[in-house]
Amino acid sequence: MSTPARRRLMRDFKRLQEDPPCGVSAAPTDNNIMLWNAVIFGPEDTPFEDGTFKLTLEFTEEYPNKPPTVRFVSKMFHPNIYADGKICLDILQNRWSPTYDVSAILTSIQSLLDEPNPNSPANSVAAQLYQENKREYEKKVQAIVEQSWAEVPEEDHVL
Amino acid sequence: MADTGGDNGPGKKAADKMFSLKKWNAVAMWSWDVECDTCAICRVQVMDACLRCQAENKQEDCVVVWGECNHSFHNCCMSLWVKQNNRCPLCQQEWVVQRIGK
Ligand SMILES: [Zn+2]
Ligand SMILES: [Zn+2]
Ligand SMILES: [Zn+2]
Repeated sequence: MSTPARRRLMRDFKRLQEDPPCGVSAAPTDNNIMLWNAVIFGPEDTPFEDGTFKLTLEFTEEYPNKPPTVRFVSKMFHPNIYADGKICLDILQNRWSPTYDVSAILTSIQSLLDEPNPNSPANSVAAQLYQENKREYEKKVQAIVEQSWAEVPEEDHVL
Repeated sequence: MADTGGDNGPGKKAADKMFSLKKWNAVAMWSWDVECDTCAICRVQVMDACLRCQAENKQEDCVVVWGECNHSFHNCCMSLWVKQNNRCPLCQQEWVVQRIGK
């Protein structure tokens, strides 16, 4: 049975294919349109450049009135991303709007990578380094960028 | 008899001319609507039924709601959203219904 949430997700997918946003890609998993896999490419001229960061998006039947649960599968080092991959981003919580779609969610997360908000840290070590020791911060980010490449082939098998 | 024939000629011509003008207007109006009036919540044009009503075969009951900010949505889509946040999802202004209809 095709519910409104599922139909809306089909539209999101169609829009992603027809008008692919720069630097992100996403698709529903084979047998479950409520669970998506996505990749965010680290933005150019940032410490995250060349990273291929994998995420999952989990939707409920209340979508788009409720945001999906978005989580990084790749290991991250970022002031607003928790150790378990959960993201601290206002538009995924209290500033959610039902007009957002998968494409908008992913491009917002992509821009969060280089514009962290150190005032609401999810990773206090990353937040502190970001403010006090940029060089060390960038080193740590470089390490997770390299780790993200290693994860790709393995994840492709799962897909 | 001759008069009737004479009337038919120019009459028909005028009708043709008017018809083509009207048609041109109608097309222009229609494409304007399509561009501006997609319900940003379900992504279906507001002139069509929302995704929920399409699924439940209630196309006839699906109406459009305009806010005082001039943004429009399906009434179905918007009434679900305002239950959790009484703001326009497009401009974040407080949602005040201006008009409901087709
Ligand atoms: Zn709608
Ligand atoms: Zn409806
Ligand atoms: Zn508005």
